[in-house]
Amino acid sequence: MLKGLLKTIAKIYFGHNIVLWMILVVLPVGVSVFMLDMFSSQIVQHVPIGIVLQDDSHLTEVLETKLRSSPVLDVQLVCHDMSECEHAVIRGDLQTFIVFPYDLERRALRLETPVIPIYSSGQNYLTNMFATKEIRAVITAVGEDMFTAQMQNPVKTEIHSVGNVEGNYQGFLALGLVAAMFHLAAILVAVYLASRPLRDHRVKEFLAYAEGSRLTLWVATFVPMIVILWLCFMGCYAYTHRVLAPMTFEEFGIVSVAQLFMVIACAGAGITFVGVTGIMRIATGVAGVVGGPAFAFAGQTYPLMAMPFAVRCFAFLLPLTHVLKVQSTMLLGDVGMPYCWPSIELLIGMSVFWNLFGGLLMSMRWKQHVRIESIIAPSKLEGTAKEASC
Amino acid sequence: MLDRLLKVTLTEWKLFVTDPAAVLLLVVAGLLYAFYYPTPYIYQTVSKVPVGIVDLDHSGKSRELVQMAAAAQQIEVKAVYNDMLEAENAMARDDIYGFMVIPEDMEKSIRKNEQVSLNIFTHGAYVMLHGAIGTAFSTCAMTLGATSKVRQIALEKKVPSSKAMAMRDPIPISIQTMFNSTGSYSNYIVPSVLILILQQSLVIGIGVLGGARAHRRFRRKYRDSAVENESLTYRYFGRSLAYFLHYCCFILFYHCVIYNLFDFPRRGELLPMMVFAIVFLFAVINFGMVISQVFLRRETSMQLFLYLSIPILFLANFSWPTYLMPDAMRALSYILPSTFAIPAWISIEQMGADLYDVAPKLYILAIQAVLYLGLGLTLTSIRDKAPFKTGDM
Repeated sequence: MLKGLLKTIAKIYFGHNIVLWMILVVLPVGVSVFMLDMFSSQIVQHVPIGIVLQDDSHLTEVLETKLRSSPVLDVQLVCHDMSECEHAVIRGDLQTFIVFPYDLERRALRLETPVIPIYSSGQNYLTNMFATKEIRAVITAVGEDMFTAQMQNPVKTEIHSVGNVEGNYQGFLALGLVAAMFHLAAILVAVYLASRPLRDHRVKEFLAYAEGSRLTLWVATFVPMIVILWLCFMGCYAYTHRVLAPMTFEEFGIVSVAQLFMVIACAGAGITFVGVTGIMRIATGVAGVVGGPAFAFAGQTYPLMAMPFAVRCFAFLLPLTHVLKVQSTMLLGDVGMPYCWPSIELLIGMSVFWNLFGGLLMSMRWKQHVRIESIIAPSKLEGTAKEASC
Repeated sequence: MLDRLLKVTLTEWKLFVTDPAAVLLLVVAGLLYAFYYPTPYIYQTVSKVPVGIVDLDHSGKSRELVQMAAAAQQIEVKAVYNDMLEAENAMARDDIYGFMVIPEDMEKSIRKNEQVSLNIFTHGAYVMLHGAIGTAFSTCAMTLGATSKVRQIALEKKVPSSKAMAMRDPIPISIQTMFNSTGSYSNYIVPSVLILILQQSLVIGIGVLGGARAHRRFRRKYRDSAVENESLTYRYFGRSLAYFLHYCCFILFYHCVIYNLFDFPRRGELLPMMVFAIVFLFAVINFGMVISQVFLRRETSMQLFLYLSIPILFLANFSWPTYLMPDAMRALSYILPSTFAIPAWISIEQMGADLYDVAPKLYILAIQAVLYLGLGLTLTSIRDKAPFKTGDM
């Protein structure tokens, strides 16, 4: 039986199959590392802004100098009028612009509190948020220096992001994106492996390699894939996590367990899609519809509580939602550990359900295809079976 | 001449509406995703984020601060805790997503004109909640500080409170959002995704049909068809026209139905939209034609391109600014139509840009269209001459 298992694994995984290795290792790992490098600057800097100088005074000079010296902002354009800056925003050259109104300094000195309007495009959430926050800080600081330079603010605030002290964008997003990539990979690879013998009419051939045992064929097809994807996932996760606070071995162990069961559950779901549809391209399409946008539904970019009830139910069914919950709880350190288990239990339940259901459907498909293959090309398949027994 | 072209167009269109996999990609995906993607963001903004407050001061000022936080629109104070550990546990249970710590003797320090530091803790995994919680708590704390500071200025400078208020903040700011006044998350995310859906479904769809053409079974079935034996130019442009007309309907559908249904701003004028549709669709179709010549199997384009959707979206200045990406990535993004199409579409449809505003992006899309056309024609002619090895007869 072990000989049959090894022969079947060799046949499936080492039979000149570039597409399999592309979707199993090269693309998930490559895209994960690519996404991580995309955020290598870690925080938003040099947001392009413009200024409209209607006032020509010492105060506007000070404000302009302070804005230019901010690392978050990059004053790219000094506009003659508002329309020039507005078109620059429409073109995407600027994110925000500030208007220093006529008589700004004179009115400020007369305590008339002239308002400085800041126009932000609103179409780019992150850069707009950083730019307006920084502009507010710069202008407020200059304003405070005018009359109350010697007085300190009675209340000061400090914002800490727990588990991501520096507010690093790699930590905010890349961890989730890596999980989303492997979530999709597990479904797609399972679809590919389950449907390839059906597409190429090779069920009988693979069964011959597995010495006629459907269980051996199932194990040989899916277990190596699960192990390979899990190891790649763990590697990418550890590589991504290096920019955040270090994890203990226990924390890493818990996350790895969750990741393993996510891969198993997704593989089971992929097998089920093939069991139901029976055709690779349709099953791949379904996998794409479910797995492709999963990250948008899993609650990391946009919180689940703000989604409609039906969407929350759908998100609950995605293994990605639960693995992201475990990963994010682990950012809180020791205190998060006891609260991970309900998510892991759910992932185990999903793994068992999808694999039993998928296994049952695939077993029926294999039986059906063996019958079909016996009818369409008995002579060709006999040759293959002989080759397998040799 | 036109008859021959239209014949190929009609045959290609018939081919993809009768092929289930192509229907799934070229018809169903474009429709389904347009409803599927905006649904999570249907409430548009995040409000009433559950938070907690750790009150170690138990004074009148700390209670004032709790009341201010409770009145803030962005957050909802779920509980007031007596120590940090309780709040941390609540955060681990996902009962709250952040908390503020009011230190011991806060009121006493403020009265003694000493500076007090308030710490705000947010969950490190959620970028959006980090911003909302931080802003809401900071505003409350600053308001409390402002009241004390105005009193301090009035006493020290011996001025009336109205003047003291003006002295505290002599140049206030007012932030105006030009094109997304409600701060809606869906207005920001969905329009970009819609363009990506068009590109990905079109490229994968053309890849699925191109993969089929490399298959011996397809050749056996259609070897006698007049259209498959038509000259290369007619075949290429006829097929392209089929996809072009089909996807023009999608752009119209998004503009007239989806934008209305989900209440996205619709400022696009007819001329820039038409020019955008022509240039964008030809760039994507020719890109798809090039890609389709590489694959020998129908499913391969689907399997490979599904992985690339997220990086392609990020390469289009969607969330993370492109100028902060490594140079190699920026160079790579130049081969993708979406890199220029997404910002151009946002400028036209969301911001009401005219042709002059988006011309630089449309020029690049046009250059891509021409380059991919040349490459597509060359690869198609090479494949025409290549022997068929894939698939059974």
